[in-house]
Amino acid sequence: MLAGTVPFGFVAGVACVAAGMTAFESIALSLFTFSGIAQLVTAQLLAAGSPLAVVIVAATVLSLRHLMYSAALSPHVAHLSARWRVLMSYLMTDQGFAIGVKRFSEPGDAANREWHYIGFGLTLFVTWQAAVVSGAVAGAQVPTTWSLDFVVVLSFVSILAPVLRTRADLAAAIVAGAVALAAAGLPYRLALIAGSLAGIAAGVFYERVRSR
Amino acid sequence: MTTWLAIVGVGLVTFLTRASFILFANPHKFPHAFRVALAFVPPAVLAAIVAPGLFMPAGAFDATFSNPRWIAGLVALAVAAQTRNAVATIATGMAALWVLQWALR
Repeated sequence: MLAGTVPFGFVAGVACVAAGMTAFESIALSLFTFSGIAQLVTAQLLAAGSPLAVVIVAATVLSLRHLMYSAALSPHVAHLSARWRVLMSYLMTDQGFAIGVKRFSEPGDAANREWHYIGFGLTLFVTWQAAVVSGAVAGAQVPTTWSLDFVVVLSFVSILAPVLRTRADLAAAIVAGAVALAAAGLPYRLALIAGSLAGIAAGVFYERVRSR
Repeated sequence: MTTWLAIVGVGLVTFLTRASFILFANPHKFPHAFRVALAFVPPAVLAAIVAPGLFMPAGAFDATFSNPRWIAGLVALAVAAQTRNAVATIATGMAALWVLQWALR
Protein backbone atom coordinates (compact mmCIF):
# COMPACT_ATOMS: atom_id res chain seq x y z
CA MET A 1 0.00 0.00 0.00
CA LEU A 2 2.93 2.31 0.63
CA ALA A 3 4.77 1.25 -2.54
CA GLY A 4 3.55 4.10 -4.68
CA THR A 5 3.73 6.63 -1.87
CA VAL A 6 7.46 7.32 -1.89
CA PRO A 7 7.92 7.95 -5.61
CA PHE A 8 4.53 9.71 -5.87
CA GLY A 9 5.35 12.02 -2.95
CA PHE A 10 8.79 12.67 -4.37
CA VAL A 11 7.26 13.57 -7.74
CA ALA A 12 4.70 15.84 -6.04
CA GLY A 13 7.53 17.66 -4.26
CA VAL A 14 9.56 18.00 -7.45
CA ALA A 15 6.48 19.16 -9.41
CA CYS A 16 5.67 21.94 -6.96
CA VAL A 17 9.20 23.33 -7.08
CA ALA A 18 9.31 22.92 -10.86
CA ALA A 19 6.03 24.88 -11.06
CA GLY A 20 7.71 27.84 -9.36
CA MET A 21 6.78 27.31 -5.72
CA THR A 22 9.48 27.55 -3.07
CA ALA A 23 10.40 24.39 -1.16
CA PHE A 24 8.76 25.92 1.93
CA GLU A 25 5.51 26.60 0.06
CA SER A 26 5.56 23.11 -1.45
CA ILE A 27 5.92 21.53 1.99
CA ALA A 28 3.24 23.81 3.46
CA LEU A 29 0.85 22.79 0.66
CA SER A 30 1.57 19.15 1.43
CA LEU A 31 0.92 19.61 5.17
CA PHE A 32 -2.29 21.56 4.58
CA THR A 33 -3.77 19.21 1.98
CA PHE A 34 -2.11 15.77 2.43
CA SER A 35 -3.50 14.90 -1.00
CA GLY A 36 -1.18 14.11 -3.88
CA ILE A 37 -3.55 14.90 -6.71
CA ALA A 38 -4.68 18.17 -5.09
CA GLN A 39 -1.02 19.16 -4.63
CA LEU A 40 -0.12 18.36 -8.25
CA VAL A 41 -3.11 20.17 -9.73
CA THR A 42 -2.64 23.19 -7.46
CA ALA A 43 1.00 23.46 -8.53
CA GLN A 44 0.13 23.10 -12.22
CA LEU A 45 -2.68 25.66 -12.07
CA LEU A 46 -0.62 28.19 -10.12
CA ALA A 47 2.21 27.76 -12.61
CA ALA A 48 -0.26 28.52 -15.41
CA GLY A 49 -1.29 31.72 -13.63
CA SER A 50 -4.84 30.52 -12.95
CA PRO A 51 -7.16 32.64 -10.80
CA LEU A 52 -7.53 31.53 -7.19
CA ALA A 53 -11.19 30.54 -7.69
CA VAL A 54 -10.24 28.11 -10.47
CA VAL A 55 -7.61 26.46 -8.26
CA ILE A 56 -10.13 26.02 -5.45
CA VAL A 57 -12.88 24.66 -7.71
CA ALA A 58 -10.52 22.18 -9.35
CA ALA A 59 -9.27 20.97 -5.96
CA THR A 60 -12.86 20.63 -4.75
CA VAL A 61 -13.97 18.50 -7.69
CA LEU A 62 -10.93 16.24 -7.35
CA SER A 63 -11.71 15.90 -3.65
CA LEU A 64 -15.33 14.87 -4.28
CA ARG A 65 -14.29 11.25 -3.92
CA HIS A 66 -13.55 12.04 -0.27
CA LEU A 67 -17.28 12.79 0.18
CA MET A 68 -18.01 9.23 -0.79
CA TYR A 69 -15.30 7.84 1.50
CA SER A 70 -16.52 10.06 4.32
CA ALA A 71 -20.11 8.87 3.90
CA ALA A 72 -19.01 5.23 3.87
CA LEU A 73 -16.85 5.54 7.00
CA SER A 74 -19.19 7.76 9.02
CA PRO A 75 -21.40 5.02 10.56
CA HIS A 76 -18.29 3.20 11.82
CA VAL A 77 -16.84 6.23 13.59
CA ALA A 78 -20.00 7.98 14.83
CA HIS A 79 -19.31 6.83 18.41
CA LEU A 80 -15.89 8.51 18.55
CA SER A 81 -15.22 11.99 19.93
CA ALA A 82 -15.10 14.96 17.56
CA ARG A 83 -11.34 15.27 18.14
CA TRP A 84 -10.71 11.75 16.85
CA ARG A 85 -13.02 12.30 13.92
CA VAL A 86 -11.10 15.46 12.99
CA LEU A 87 -7.89 13.43 12.98
CA MET A 88 -9.50 10.63 10.95
CA SER A 89 -10.81 13.16 8.44
CA TYR A 90 -7.40 14.75 8.02
CA LEU A 91 -5.75 11.35 7.54
CA MET A 92 -8.24 10.20 4.89
CA THR A 93 -6.67 9.04 1.63
CA ASP A 94 -7.66 6.68 -1.17
CA GLN A 95 -5.47 3.94 0.33
CA GLY A 96 -6.48 4.70 3.92
CA PHE A 97 -10.13 4.44 2.99
CA ALA A 98 -9.57 1.10 1.25
CA ILE A 99 -7.75 -0.27 4.32
CA GLY A 100 -10.23 1.20 6.78
CA VAL A 101 -13.44 0.10 5.11
CA LYS A 102 -12.08 -3.45 4.79
CA ARG A 103 -11.23 -3.61 8.51
CA PHE A 104 -14.48 -1.98 9.61
CA SER A 105 -16.59 -4.46 7.65
CA GLU A 106 -14.84 -7.61 8.91
CA PRO A 107 -16.87 -9.86 11.21
CA GLY A 108 -16.06 -10.14 14.89
CA ASP A 109 -15.38 -7.74 17.73
CA ALA A 110 -15.97 -4.19 16.48
CA ALA A 111 -14.15 -2.41 19.33
CA ASN A 112 -11.09 -0.27 18.69
CA ARG A 113 -11.09 -0.85 14.95
CA GLU A 114 -10.36 2.82 14.34
CA TRP A 115 -6.76 2.20 15.46
CA HIS A 116 -6.10 0.19 12.33
CA TYR A 117 -7.17 3.15 10.20
CA ILE A 118 -5.36 5.72 12.34
CA GLY A 119 -2.16 3.66 12.48
CA PHE A 120 -2.12 3.23 8.73
CA GLY A 121 -3.00 6.91 8.22
CA LEU A 122 -0.14 8.11 10.42
CA THR A 123 2.33 5.77 8.71
CA LEU A 124 1.20 7.01 5.32
CA PHE A 125 1.35 10.62 6.53
CA VAL A 126 4.97 10.37 7.71
CA THR A 127 6.05 8.46 4.58
CA TRP A 128 4.28 10.90 2.30
CA GLN A 129 5.60 14.07 3.95
CA ALA A 130 9.16 12.72 4.02
CA ALA A 131 8.90 11.91 0.31
CA VAL A 132 7.48 15.36 -0.52
CA VAL A 133 10.22 17.11 1.48
CA SER A 134 12.95 15.14 -0.28
CA GLY A 135 11.35 15.89 -3.65
CA ALA A 136 10.97 19.60 -2.89
CA VAL A 137 14.56 19.86 -1.61
CA ALA A 138 16.24 17.62 -4.17
CA GLY A 139 14.27 19.34 -6.92
CA ALA A 140 14.87 18.21 -10.46
CA GLN A 141 17.94 16.03 -9.81
CA VAL A 142 16.31 12.90 -11.23
CA PRO A 143 16.84 12.56 -14.99
CA THR A 144 13.58 13.03 -16.91
CA THR A 145 14.39 9.93 -19.01
CA TRP A 146 13.42 7.84 -15.95
CA SER A 147 9.85 9.11 -16.47
CA LEU A 148 9.27 9.02 -12.71
CA ASP A 149 6.18 11.22 -13.17
CA PHE A 150 4.45 8.14 -14.59
CA VAL A 151 4.35 6.76 -11.03
CA VAL A 152 1.59 9.28 -10.32
CA VAL A 153 -0.61 7.89 -13.10
CA LEU A 154 0.17 4.31 -12.06
CA SER A 155 -0.74 5.07 -8.44
CA PHE A 156 -4.17 6.11 -9.64
CA VAL A 157 -4.43 3.08 -11.93
CA SER A 158 -3.85 0.88 -8.89
CA ILE A 159 -6.69 2.63 -7.03
CA LEU A 160 -8.99 2.74 -10.08
CA ALA A 161 -9.04 -1.00 -10.83
CA PRO A 162 -10.56 -2.11 -7.49
CA VAL A 163 -13.39 0.46 -7.68
CA LEU A 164 -14.58 -0.91 -11.05
CA ARG A 165 -16.88 -3.53 -9.54
CA THR A 166 -20.05 -3.20 -11.64
CA ARG A 167 -20.89 -2.35 -15.23
CA ALA A 168 -22.22 0.98 -14.02
CA ASP A 169 -18.82 1.72 -12.44
CA LEU A 170 -17.20 0.81 -15.74
CA ALA A 171 -19.60 3.09 -17.66
CA ALA A 172 -18.78 5.95 -15.28
CA ALA A 173 -15.04 5.41 -15.76
CA ILE A 174 -15.16 5.08 -19.55
CA VAL A 175 -17.31 8.19 -20.03
CA ALA A 176 -15.20 10.16 -17.55
CA GLY A 177 -12.00 9.18 -19.32
CA ALA A 178 -13.40 9.88 -22.80
CA VAL A 179 -14.79 13.29 -21.84
CA ALA A 180 -11.57 14.22 -20.04
CA LEU A 181 -9.70 13.47 -23.30
CA ALA A 182 -12.24 15.15 -25.58
CA ALA A 183 -12.35 18.29 -23.43
CA ALA A 184 -8.56 18.54 -23.16
CA GLY A 185 -8.59 21.83 -25.06
CA LEU A 186 -10.40 23.62 -22.24
CA PRO A 187 -8.32 25.97 -20.12
CA TYR A 188 -7.48 25.54 -16.42
CA ARG A 189 -7.67 21.75 -16.49
CA LEU A 190 -11.45 22.06 -16.74
CA ALA A 191 -11.32 18.78 -18.69
CA LEU A 192 -10.70 16.99 -15.40
CA ILE A 193 -13.81 18.55 -13.93
CA ALA A 194 -15.93 18.01 -17.04
CA GLY A 195 -14.80 14.38 -17.27
CA SER A 196 -15.52 13.69 -13.59
CA LEU A 197 -19.02 15.17 -13.72
CA ALA A 198 -19.87 13.44 -17.01
CA GLY A 199 -18.69 10.13 -15.57
CA ILE A 200 -20.83 10.49 -12.44
CA ALA A 201 -23.84 11.35 -14.62
CA ALA A 202 -23.16 8.34 -16.85
CA GLY A 203 -23.02 5.99 -13.86
CA VAL A 204 -26.28 7.33 -12.45
CA PHE A 205 -27.92 7.10 -15.88
CA TYR A 206 -26.75 3.52 -16.45
CA GLU A 207 -28.05 2.47 -13.04
CA ARG A 208 -31.39 4.13 -13.69
CA VAL A 209 -31.90 2.55 -17.12
CA ARG A 210 -30.88 -0.88 -15.85
CA SER A 211 -33.17 -0.83 -12.82
CA ARG A 212 -36.20 0.16 -14.88
CA MET B 1 0.08 36.00 -2.04
CA THR B 2 -2.10 33.98 -4.41
CA THR B 3 0.12 30.99 -3.68
CA TRP B 4 -0.54 31.19 0.06
CA LEU B 5 -4.26 31.80 -0.39
CA ALA B 6 -4.34 28.76 -2.66
CA ILE B 7 -2.43 26.66 -0.11
CA VAL B 8 -4.88 27.56 2.66
CA GLY B 9 -7.95 27.36 0.39
CA VAL B 10 -7.05 23.97 -1.08
CA GLY B 11 -6.19 22.76 2.42
CA LEU B 12 -9.62 23.85 3.58
CA VAL B 13 -11.59 22.16 0.77
CA THR B 14 -9.61 18.93 1.03
CA PHE B 15 -10.30 18.84 4.77
CA LEU B 16 -13.98 19.77 4.46
CA THR B 17 -14.72 17.10 1.84
CA ARG B 18 -13.03 14.49 4.05
CA ALA B 19 -14.80 15.68 7.20
CA SER B 20 -18.18 16.14 5.46
CA PHE B 21 -19.97 13.07 6.78
CA ILE B 22 -17.52 11.88 9.41
CA LEU B 23 -17.84 15.15 11.29
CA PHE B 24 -20.81 17.17 10.09
CA ALA B 25 -23.62 15.28 8.40
CA ASN B 26 -25.49 12.01 8.39
CA PRO B 27 -25.47 10.56 4.85
CA HIS B 28 -28.85 8.96 5.47
CA LYS B 29 -30.42 12.39 5.68
CA PHE B 30 -29.56 13.02 2.05
CA PRO B 31 -31.79 11.89 -0.84
CA HIS B 32 -31.19 8.44 -2.27
CA ALA B 33 -30.19 9.94 -5.64
CA PHE B 34 -27.37 11.84 -3.98
CA ARG B 35 -25.95 8.67 -2.44
CA VAL B 36 -26.26 6.83 -5.75
CA ALA B 37 -24.29 9.64 -7.43
CA LEU B 38 -21.65 9.57 -4.68
CA ALA B 39 -20.95 5.91 -5.40
CA PHE B 40 -19.77 6.84 -8.90
CA VAL B 41 -17.42 9.58 -7.79
CA PRO B 42 -14.32 7.39 -7.32
CA PRO B 43 -14.44 5.59 -10.70
CA ALA B 44 -15.29 8.83 -12.54
CA VAL B 45 -12.72 11.10 -10.90
CA LEU B 46 -9.95 8.50 -11.00
CA ALA B 47 -10.59 7.72 -14.69
CA ALA B 48 -10.63 11.44 -15.52
CA ILE B 49 -7.19 11.69 -13.90
CA VAL B 50 -5.78 8.52 -15.48
CA ALA B 51 -6.99 8.85 -19.10
CA PRO B 52 -5.07 12.03 -20.00
CA GLY B 53 -1.99 10.69 -18.21
CA LEU B 54 -2.02 7.67 -20.51
CA PHE B 55 -3.25 9.07 -23.81
CA MET B 56 -1.96 12.63 -23.87
CA PRO B 57 1.42 12.71 -22.09
CA ALA B 58 2.66 15.48 -24.39
CA GLY B 59 -0.61 17.45 -24.37
CA ALA B 60 -2.13 15.99 -27.54
CA PHE B 61 -4.08 12.73 -27.97
CA ASP B 62 -1.70 9.96 -28.99
CA ALA B 63 -2.75 6.30 -29.07
CA THR B 64 0.03 5.20 -31.42
CA PHE B 65 3.20 3.24 -30.72
CA SER B 66 5.19 6.44 -30.39
CA ASN B 67 3.48 6.91 -27.03
CA PRO B 68 4.44 4.01 -24.74
CA ARG B 69 2.41 5.30 -21.79
CA TRP B 70 -1.03 4.07 -22.79
CA ILE B 71 0.34 0.58 -23.48
CA ALA B 72 2.22 0.47 -20.16
CA GLY B 73 -0.89 1.86 -18.46
CA LEU B 74 -3.17 -0.85 -19.87
CA VAL B 75 -0.66 -3.50 -18.78
CA ALA B 76 -0.68 -1.97 -15.30
CA LEU B 77 -4.50 -1.84 -15.30
CA ALA B 78 -4.64 -5.54 -16.14
CA VAL B 79 -2.18 -6.31 -13.32
CA ALA B 80 -4.17 -4.11 -10.93
CA ALA B 81 -7.44 -5.85 -11.85
CA GLN B 82 -5.88 -9.30 -11.38
CA THR B 83 -3.76 -8.77 -8.28
CA ARG B 84 -5.30 -5.72 -6.52
CA ASN B 85 -1.71 -5.08 -5.51
CA ALA B 86 -0.28 -1.55 -5.74
CA VAL B 87 3.37 -2.69 -5.65
CA ALA B 88 2.86 -5.13 -8.50
CA THR B 89 0.86 -2.55 -10.49
CA ILE B 90 3.40 0.25 -10.20
CA ALA B 91 6.42 -2.01 -10.67
CA THR B 92 4.93 -3.68 -13.78
CA GLY B 93 3.79 -0.35 -15.21
CA MET B 94 7.20 1.30 -14.78
CA ALA B 95 9.02 -1.78 -16.13
CA ALA B 96 6.69 -1.85 -19.14
CA LEU B 97 7.26 1.87 -19.74
CA TRP B 98 11.03 1.56 -19.59
CA VAL B 99 11.08 -1.49 -21.88
CA LEU B 100 8.77 0.22 -24.38
CA GLN B 101 10.75 3.46 -24.27
CA TRP B 102 13.87 1.45 -25.03
CA ALA B 103 12.25 -0.75 -27.68
CA LEU B 104 10.41 2.07 -29.49
CA ARG B 105 13.34 4.45 -29.51
